[in-house]
Amino acid sequence: MTLSSKAIALCALIIVICIGALSFWSESRNEDDRQWVTHTLLVVEKLQAVRIDITQAETGQRGYILTGKDRYLELYEAGVNQVRQDMKELPDLTADNAREREAIKRLDPLVAYRLAELAEGIEVRQRSGLLAGAEAVTHGNNGEKWMGQIAAQIGEMRQTEANLLNIRLGKAAASTRKMKIVIACGNSLAILILLVKGFVIHWETCQRNLAEQNLQRANEKLKRRTAELSETNIELESFAYSVAHDLRAPLRHIAGYSGVLTQDYGPRLDAEGLRCLGKIADCARQMGHLVDDLLGLSQIGRQKLSFRQTALGSLVAQAIEDLAPEFAGRHVEWQIAELFNAECDPGLMKQVFTNLLSNAVKYTRRRKRAVIQVGQTRQNEERVVFVRDNGVGFDMQHAKKLFGVFQRLHKARDFEGTGVGLAIVQRIIRKHGGRIWANAELGQGATFYFTLGTRENKTREQPDSVHEEATHVATS
Amino acid sequence: MSQQVEILLIEDSPEDAELTIRALRRNKLANEIQVVEDGAEALDFLFCRGSFKDRTPSEYPKLVLLDLKLPKVSGMEVLRAIRDDERTRAIPVVVLTSSKEERDLMEGYKLGVNAYAQKPVDFEQFAETVRQIGMFWMLINKLPPPGEAVATRAQGA
Repeated sequence: MTLSSKAIALCALIIVICIGALSFWSESRNEDDRQWVTHTLLVVEKLQAVRIDITQAETGQRGYILTGKDRYLELYEAGVNQVRQDMKELPDLTADNAREREAIKRLDPLVAYRLAELAEGIEVRQRSGLLAGAEAVTHGNNGEKWMGQIAAQIGEMRQTEANLLNIRLGKAAASTRKMKIVIACGNSLAILILLVKGFVIHWETCQRNLAEQNLQRANEKLKRRTAELSETNIELESFAYSVAHDLRAPLRHIAGYSGVLTQDYGPRLDAEGLRCLGKIADCARQMGHLVDDLLGLSQIGRQKLSFRQTALGSLVAQAIEDLAPEFAGRHVEWQIAELFNAECDPGLMKQVFTNLLSNAVKYTRRRKRAVIQVGQTRQNEERVVFVRDNGVGFDMQHAKKLFGVFQRLHKARDFEGTGVGLAIVQRIIRKHGGRIWANAELGQGATFYFTLGTRENKTREQPDSVHEEATHVATS
Repeated sequence: MSQQVEILLIEDSPEDAELTIRALRRNKLANEIQVVEDGAEALDFLFCRGSFKDRTPSEYPKLVLLDLKLPKVSGMEVLRAIRDDERTRAIPVVVLTSSKEERDLMEGYKLGVNAYAQKPVDFEQFAETVRQIGMFWMLINKLPPPGEAVATRAQGA
């Protein structure tokens, strides 16, 4: 999952959580509003009860006065008790509203007077009989006046509560509406985000599939190209081989017939004629070397390596022995260090040492004291073999050409050669999976380094010694 | 009737043939050299067929010098034919060729070649190579008595 897609998922999650929290908060506020509505209704009911209960007390009182029966007295007393109870509860119910509290304070004495009047009627009936009682009810008190005032007071209070109820109902409705809007918006947003996320995932999947397809196509193309290239390489090597091979025959004939000419007709030729004949033979010989080297190069290209655990040191010793005729009569100081054992093709690796040492011998030709070193060093975990001489060296500016076929950094007049030796060396090293490079300074000698890419060449020892190890072993 | 052929030179290049013959003659190595220019002719000669049908069958050369790159029938096929027939099996065959391909060397020895030499480009080296081959096979090497069939060990004689 990409970073942006993670961010989108996180966003959606946060929004869903927020909506949840908001809904909870909104719901609890709504609950409060509803409780207030219920409360208001309760107050209204209680005020209504006060009127009814007073009426009940009145009914009981009048019944008693008319009949003198205890049943009415009980009705009266129950009504009075109920009114007292109602009046006790009212202040608690209206504690939240100062205006209502004031109204209750005004209602309280009215109710008290009315109750006192009713009590007085009962007392007169008990003391003086029916007529006095009836007289007390009809003329002796201000019952209607008090009841009118009580009704007015209760009406006012109910109006106040009704107003409150309207406000509270409005508030509850508003908060419900708000909550609905919040939930609707939040959910829409969450759905939108999830849709976007879904789209992003779909798009990413498409992109990935496309990339995978492209990669597969590129891989197939690469495989095809590699197959084509290796085929072309084999064709080229075969071509080089047959060309070199076919060139060899006419060359041999040129050399052969100039040899015949020298042998059979030499005595009849003058000095210039003999010189020209000699030139022809020399050129044929030189070209013969070129062709042979080219054949060798193409042969290495086609040859399969046969790997064997090999002591590189013994290959160096053999190479020096083979080269002996090349440095006969010269003073060459050989400094050969002990070399590691490597998994390599011994025949080809011997050729590497032969070519490198042959160069070292050749380019130290003008030194009174030629010093040729072979040793090993390490470069990042990799074992490196080096061949160093104190010969004429070369300009590092031309180092790129060093390993090219037929590339020479010296004039043929100064140092003979075909320019194939180092190309062969490079080809062999590369076939082993290794690298070769050189370091030199004009007039100061040259050092060739190479690695062998095989597993065995990767040292498992600690790279403790980074110094080159080259010890004096023999002088010749 | 001509003298018995001592060396059969199978060589398609007239120049190489001339230079080889010259090197042999200068060393007085072979009086009678037969040159054939392709593999088919070589087999005709050895088995007395075609233009060689009048040759005395029991007379075999002391040495066959064989080039590998030949028209019609290749040097390797000639070598195989010589080794496959018990009449010719004992004839020494020396490959003298331009190629020093490892593959050719391996195949040559597998087919039972007696020696394998690459023709040097250098004239003197070439002459010396031919001289040494001629010296050994014509003067030093001993052959089984003529007319004796030579069976291979594989055939369990």
